[in-house]
Amino acid sequence: MVKKLIALCLGVAMTASLVACGGTAATTAEPAADATAQETPAADDSAAADTAAAEEEAPTSIGSSVEGELSITIWDEGQRPGLQQIVDEWSAQSGVKATIQVVDWNDYWTLLEAGATGGELPDVFWMHSNVAQKYMENDMLLDLTDKIAASDKIDMNNYYEGIVKLYQSNGKQYAVPKDIDTIALWYNKTIFDEMGVPYPDDTWTWEDFKANAKKLTNDEHWGYAIAPGNNQEGYYNTIYSMGGYVISDDKKTSGMDDANSIKAVKLFTDMIAEGSCPDLATVSETAPNELLCAGKTAMSINGSWMLAGYRDNEYAAANCDVAVLPYTNTPDDRVSIYNGLGWAAAANGKNTDAAWSLIEYLGSKEAQLEQAELGVTMSAYKGTSDAWVNSVDCFDLNGHMKMLDAKLVFRPYSRDTTVWEDMMIEKLQDAWTGAKPVEDVCIDIATEMNAALAEE
Amino acid sequence: MKKKPSSRQISEFIWGWLFILPTMAGLIILNIYPMIDTIKQSFYKTGDFGKGNIFVGLANYRKVFGDAEVWQALANTIKYAIVEVPFSVVIALLLAVILNKKIKGRSFFRTVFFLPMVVAPAAVAMVWKWLYNSNFGLINNTFHIKVNWISDPNIAIYSIAVIGIWSVIGYNMVLFLAGLQEVPRDYYEAASLDGANGWQQLIHITVPLISPTIFFVIVTRVIAGMQVFDLIYMLIDLNNPAWKKTESLVYLFYKYSFQQSKKGYGATVIVVLLAFILILTVIQLIGQKKWVHYE
Repeated sequence: MVKKLIALCLGVAMTASLVACGGTAATTAEPAADATAQETPAADDSAAADTAAAEEEAPTSIGSSVEGELSITIWDEGQRPGLQQIVDEWSAQSGVKATIQVVDWNDYWTLLEAGATGGELPDVFWMHSNVAQKYMENDMLLDLTDKIAASDKIDMNNYYEGIVKLYQSNGKQYAVPKDIDTIALWYNKTIFDEMGVPYPDDTWTWEDFKANAKKLTNDEHWGYAIAPGNNQEGYYNTIYSMGGYVISDDKKTSGMDDANSIKAVKLFTDMIAEGSCPDLATVSETAPNELLCAGKTAMSINGSWMLAGYRDNEYAAANCDVAVLPYTNTPDDRVSIYNGLGWAAAANGKNTDAAWSLIEYLGSKEAQLEQAELGVTMSAYKGTSDAWVNSVDCFDLNGHMKMLDAKLVFRPYSRDTTVWEDMMIEKLQDAWTGAKPVEDVCIDIATEMNAALAEE
Repeated sequence: MKKKPSSRQISEFIWGWLFILPTMAGLIILNIYPMIDTIKQSFYKTGDFGKGNIFVGLANYRKVFGDAEVWQALANTIKYAIVEVPFSVVIALLLAVILNKKIKGRSFFRTVFFLPMVVAPAAVAMVWKWLYNSNFGLINNTFHIKVNWISDPNIAIYSIAVIGIWSVIGYNMVLFLAGLQEVPRDYYEAASLDGANGWQQLIHITVPLISPTIFFVIVTRVIAGMQVFDLIYMLIDLNNPAWKKTESLVYLFYKYSFQQSKKGYGATVIVVLLAFILILTVIQLIGQKKWVHYE
């Protein structure tokens, strides 16, 4: 009996350790599973395949590859239900099934790169400013230039310019803009009422922000919580608002040692030092949006993509609202760092015609409007954001929409953004904790960033 | 003159190879080939998507030895292993000895101690992350203390090692239990007659007799400890103040190879770890002659 138990335990342990053996085994297993999933329906539909067999020879139109199925990969679970609804409508028209798979942000890029190296990219997927240049230069993405020119649904003039340009390389267009985001100030109305501070509005300057955060702080909660790992929802906005910059226009030099950039980072380090913003240890363990949803912070700076999370949180829906970001000297320097994803297809996909048809649909005014109405995200198609504002009752999303009229600065990027971005997040720790003066940290960052940019 | 092999010998030869073929194929495709390829890559500056690799000779190695981050990561890894291995071995051995006696609920306790091993490491890490949370965590709130378990650079690596110990005790214990089955009862009876107490029996009978098992456990735990990754990956973010003091060598490899796609430099880091583990294991193999007793 005892020996049997031990044998059983050993067996379990060995299986567990085999699985734990890690990455290689898991990733090799995945394509295999995909292959079987694709083959099985083909075998089942042999009757259907017979009828389509004649057309199969020359896949010139979508109809010829009806039995295929498109794989779509994205990284945001919050957007999946809404997007699947839109994709299903396309499926009803085209007769091609398409399923969305969600992989979280970090693993997404690891898997996408492995897929690109091994020639196994998903058919349709999201592209992002951090790496777009690299994928385009290496011909990993399907060239959409001619297809867009021939399409009556897609006109690049209908989308925000920065996002269109981002997915261009050597005069070719590699992705159709999906969404745009703006950054705004989320706040807890209940805490503001309790502390007798008027709600934030478009008259606030960053100095007011700092002063009010102090007033909103007591033993129960902080005035503001910074997201040290997310530059777009934090110091990038103040850097550009105060006249500094992160990277030069030619993407050769760093602007982190600029006096205004340093001043912009200091705004936040001062708040941490005053105690109106939690220390680094706290926010690294509990994210600012979690603190806001728990009534532990009065304010949090967030991107419009956070809407689904706040909408679905009972406490946030009942107590929170959103306003525009503060400005520095005049309302003209109110800045929102924006970014926009693009829908891209694999250059070597098995069914590029269907993939293009899907992308064309997703980029059309109709689908872009629906994306906004469903509250998935703000759409990249100009003039559709009103629908997004009306998508929820619990918040006044004008805070986010009015940021579209502010100075929109595209999120700083270069060819290998992650390399210097991670370095910056790591080094800024010493500034947040106060271990080193902000000036020294920023100058140090600029030196290393220049070296990284020279290597690109 | 050489004798011609009989048909039976030929048949045994073919079948023998046929039977080990699946294992051999798996080993070569999944372990040996990637290993050689990794070593090869460590001499290259790799291009995007595996294309355009440039041979750079020993440049990566020169860079690794001058890279303060690599040395810090090695120090972090050693700190983790130094805490995790001895504690998990000693605690597991004591538990195994206790649970080898005829006590009530023996099977229940054996299962309980083994359970953490069955749970996915990611789930373990998520639960402990909340236990350790400095503001809202169960540990700090129960004892009314304010310790930054996983964000204080001085203690974070040890907090992680505690989770490592907790997860692996059951596995070590099962191995020791298997070893204890081989120890004849007579020795203990004789020792009792001579007046040896429980502690003396443990040190002078149990430990020497199961020393091959102990040796096996220590060697495999040291290797696994040096390769710690998942717990740190799940618990520590880039913006955690303890980041620099907890980043392990495998994490560094992951960061370079997959997050920053500098595969060549990442490969170099992991080859250095391989060499380090090899040296440690050779030392242990030599050292075993002093204390491991094979019958």
